Amino acid sequence: MVLEDDYFLTFMQWLLPGRQGIGALGWFMIWVPIVALLGLLVGFVRATLHYTARDGLASGILEGFFAVARTIDTAVKDLSQTSARRTFAMARLAVQESLRRLVLVVFAVFLLFVLFAGWFLDVNSDNPARLYMGFVLGMNNMLLLLLALVLSTFSLPSDIRNRTIYTVVTKPVRPSEIILGRVLGFSFVGTVFVVVMCLISYVFVTRGLNHEHGVDPTTVTRQTVDGASVVSGQTTEDLRHVHTFTLRDGQGRTDIAHGHWHEVEQVGEGENATFVVGPPRDTLQARIADYGRLRFLGRTGKERATAYNVGKEWSYRSYVEGGTKSAAIWRFRGITPERYPEGLPLELNLRVFRTHKGDVEKGIVGLLKLRHPDPAVNTESETFTFTAQEFQIDNLFIDRNLRAQKSDGTLKPIDLFEDLVDKTDGSVEVIVQCAEPAQYFGMAEGDVYLRARDGSFFWNFVKGHVAIWLQMVLVVSFGVMFSTFLSGIVAMVATLATVVLGHTVDFVTELATGEVPGGGALESSVRIVRQMNVSAEIDANVGTQLLQGTDLVGSNVVRFMTFLVPNYKELSRTIAENGPLVNGFDIFNTLLARQCLTTFVFVGVVVLISYFFLKTREIAA
Amino acid sequence: MATPVSEVLAQAAPAAGENVVIETRNLSKVYRDFWGRHKVRALKALDLEVYQGEIFGLLGPNGSGKSTTIKLLLGLLFPTSGSALVFGKDALDVSKNERIGYLPEESYLYRFLNAEETLDFYARLFDMPASVRRQRIADLITMVGLNWAKRRQLKEYSKGMARRIGLAQALINDPELILLDEPTTGLDPIGTREMKDLILRLRDEGKTILMCSHQLADVQDVCDRIAILHQGELKELGRVDTLLKVQDVTQIQARGLSKEAEAEIREVIARHGGTLESLENPTTTMEELFLSIVRDSEARPGRRVREGDKDRSEE
Ligand SMILES: Nc1ncnc2c1ncn2[C@@H]1O[C@H](COP(=O)(O)OP(=O)(O)OP(=O)(O)O)[C@@H](O)[C@H]1O
Ligand SMILES: [Mg+2]
Repeated sequence: MVLEDDYFLTFMQWLLPGRQGIGALGWFMIWVPIVALLGLLVGFVRATLHYTARDGLASGILEGFFAVARTIDTAVKDLSQTSARRTFAMARLAVQESLRRLVLVVFAVFLLFVLFAGWFLDVNSDNPARLYMGFVLGMNNMLLLLLALVLSTFSLPSDIRNRTIYTVVTKPVRPSEIILGRVLGFSFVGTVFVVVMCLISYVFVTRGLNHEHGVDPTTVTRQTVDGASVVSGQTTEDLRHVHTFTLRDGQGRTDIAHGHWHEVEQVGEGENATFVVGPPRDTLQARIADYGRLRFLGRTGKERATAYNVGKEWSYRSYVEGGTKSAAIWRFRGITPERYPEGLPLELNLRVFRTHKGDVEKGIVGLLKLRHPDPAVNTESETFTFTAQEFQIDNLFIDRNLRAQKSDGTLKPIDLFEDLVDKTDGSVEVIVQCAEPAQYFGMAEGDVYLRARDGSFFWNFVKGHVAIWLQMVLVVSFGVMFSTFLSGIVAMVATLATVVLGHTVDFVTELATGEVPGGGALESSVRIVRQMNVSAEIDANVGTQLLQGTDLVGSNVVRFMTFLVPNYKELSRTIAENGPLVNGFDIFNTLLARQCLTTFVFVGVVVLISYFFLKTREIAA
Repeated sequence: MATPVSEVLAQAAPAAGENVVIETRNLSKVYRDFWGRHKVRALKALDLEVYQGEIFGLLGPNGSGKSTTIKLLLGLLFPTSGSALVFGKDALDVSKNERIGYLPEESYLYRFLNAEETLDFYARLFDMPASVRRQRIADLITMVGLNWAKRRQLKEYSKGMARRIGLAQALINDPELILLDEPTTGLDPIGTREMKDLILRLRDEGKTILMCSHQLADVQDVCDRIAILHQGELKELGRVDTLLKVQDVTQIQARGLSKEAEAEIREVIARHGGTLESLENPTTTMEELFLSIVRDSEARPGRRVREGDKDRSEE
């Protein structure tokens, strides 16, 4: 799972300047004037062109200026007179319209997909939960955006083409109400769909992963160990996997296979005993994790912000070198006996980078200890060892009753909360090292955490659909905006373009800053034609400089456009393949709140822009 | 035929200085294409006033700018120059729509709604209590005679049925000013008759009506004043009774004169003899007036009305 730095910000840290540069509010302050200025400019140019055609350039400019001023004046009046009643009437109409159009077809297609999906999904996957959820979320996201696209972009243009709009705008309806009514109406239809699809796919996922095992009697062996009867054996193969299990005195559980385990119970005694395997456990989880702040120590034990880059193209994780003083230090806060009465339920999800193969089956040994954050106190616990396996979460429960090494080498008992936790902020440090020389552990802030509780998977699933819902609302608003001045199909393509752009913001930014190998559109076309490798030096003559210059301008224009469209990729990060939901982690409520706020700001601005488009449009021309 | 018209006109002679509901000043419209290039000059410097409580008819051949005028008055089009005022407000001001009803030239209604839903939708755009809304919807559906089809979607409606619902829609807010673009097209003879009666009834309730129509007989029946447009220019404007009066002809009806006396009739009348039963100017029909103006305009393009006005005021 990938959790970028900003994932851990609280709402206020995100909003206000400080932690993340100028903060969201800062960006808002820059963004709004730019959009407003751009809008004024477009309006002024349009009006000036219009009046210049009539009266010539000089008075055209003057008239253009007055036209803009007049429009703003009426806009203020109109917006202040926007009525909930009329908006609601328009929204109702939008709903009625959707209900009597294609919408039901889309829904039927979705159901068909889900019904047949079971056939296409490869249940042999190591982690069927991930597979199912990835599929269902991707599908729901796509279908809903498609639905939003179709709903929102065809309505106004068809009203204008059929001239039904004549009978509407000659009623006391403000353009703002026409826009807002449509956005609300279509969003309402979309919401109903999100809810229904969320519920259906929840059932689909839980049903799809649910299965029963029997016990294969030929594999059952019985022993007596320390006076207790121990039974072990294997389950039957169901959903293409088998578990082994061990029972002690009739109670026990299976191992973890395909991301889950079962409880096993013995019924009856002796040779006639039968075994009952319970339902799958931990298939779908919503771990509520307590994350810490991460810093590193280098080979010599000096502090550094990041450790070592092992040459992987992506610098999300830092690597800690084995057999040196290199270490990763997490500082967890708010550790109290009330929250963790027994001790710390640590989970580690480390990447392993091997410079030599070693024993691939065995995993790499790591060292972990706890330390009081205040160097003056200078208390640390004994060292625990663990084996890190790639792509597997290691559980390590640290009991509150620990031992510390005294200066003479003997161990004395200490208490986690008394001796290791800093009372002022309840913080404690967890230090992770790699024990094997020349092997590396890759770690990012979200890779070691305290598993505070398990949240409800259902609500987490719902939260994931909130992310889809937000995108749906955005697409609806953009669709309605484009449909105020473009015809249906063109408006749809334009809206689609904003979605594509919003999904590739990162790429476009890299393109514009020259970080993408092979250059921009023109340069890479030349490379393709000349069959050149992306990293091959392109000869620096005037032609190629011109090419690269054009690319730079082009990609910066596109980059500026990304500034104007919502970042859909950011909105779908919680439901992405490497996001929290699919990997069984609870989605941060603050992140959801941030996304909601961003979305609503966008929707507000888009509605305002649409108002101006519609207001200045000559309906009957 | 002339009698009912003159009766109608007698009741509602708009006096000068009465409330002006619609006022256009130098109103012009040039349709442009996407690139701002000049396409059609649809309306040329129209000056018009419509007073409260009158039925005003806009006449003219196809493409003469009647619908354009109405759309300008509604704010559906932006004037190229000049201004259009409705209730003293600019035509682009949305708040004037509270008091306006509009029946477009064709029925531009939502085909996926049924009659009741249609009226319900439009009614919700006005500030009226739910009970009033429901009552008015029921009344209007009864008035336009569609009770039998009120649950059917409009896409199943015939042209005339859609037209009737369009009229009901225009009256949903009990408007003070009603703009009717060819109200009788598509209606059967009974519907046409009902429409005319309705227009007169609305006028009697004190409402103002601006209509355009090609049914000259209908215009002659209901309109108090008319304007005739040709190629975007105002060609004739005035009271229907005045316009239809043939000024230079006198019609005499007499009884009890012998055959011999008939020969001397002009002489006798000149000397104020005989029993004069009627002495008046004969009226022409609207159709003849219309055709003569259009033929005249085509023969001599340019502004005709101004001179005509002057001529009449001198008489
Ligand atoms: N949207 C438009 N774009 C371009 N030209 C238009 C448009 N609407 C009308 N016109 C032109 O403007 C002129 C006046 O049209 P208008 O619709 O006002 O005529 P009308 O008097 O209502 O005719 P009719 O009796 O046929 O309804 C015509 O030449 C017409 O071609
Ligand atoms: Mg017309």
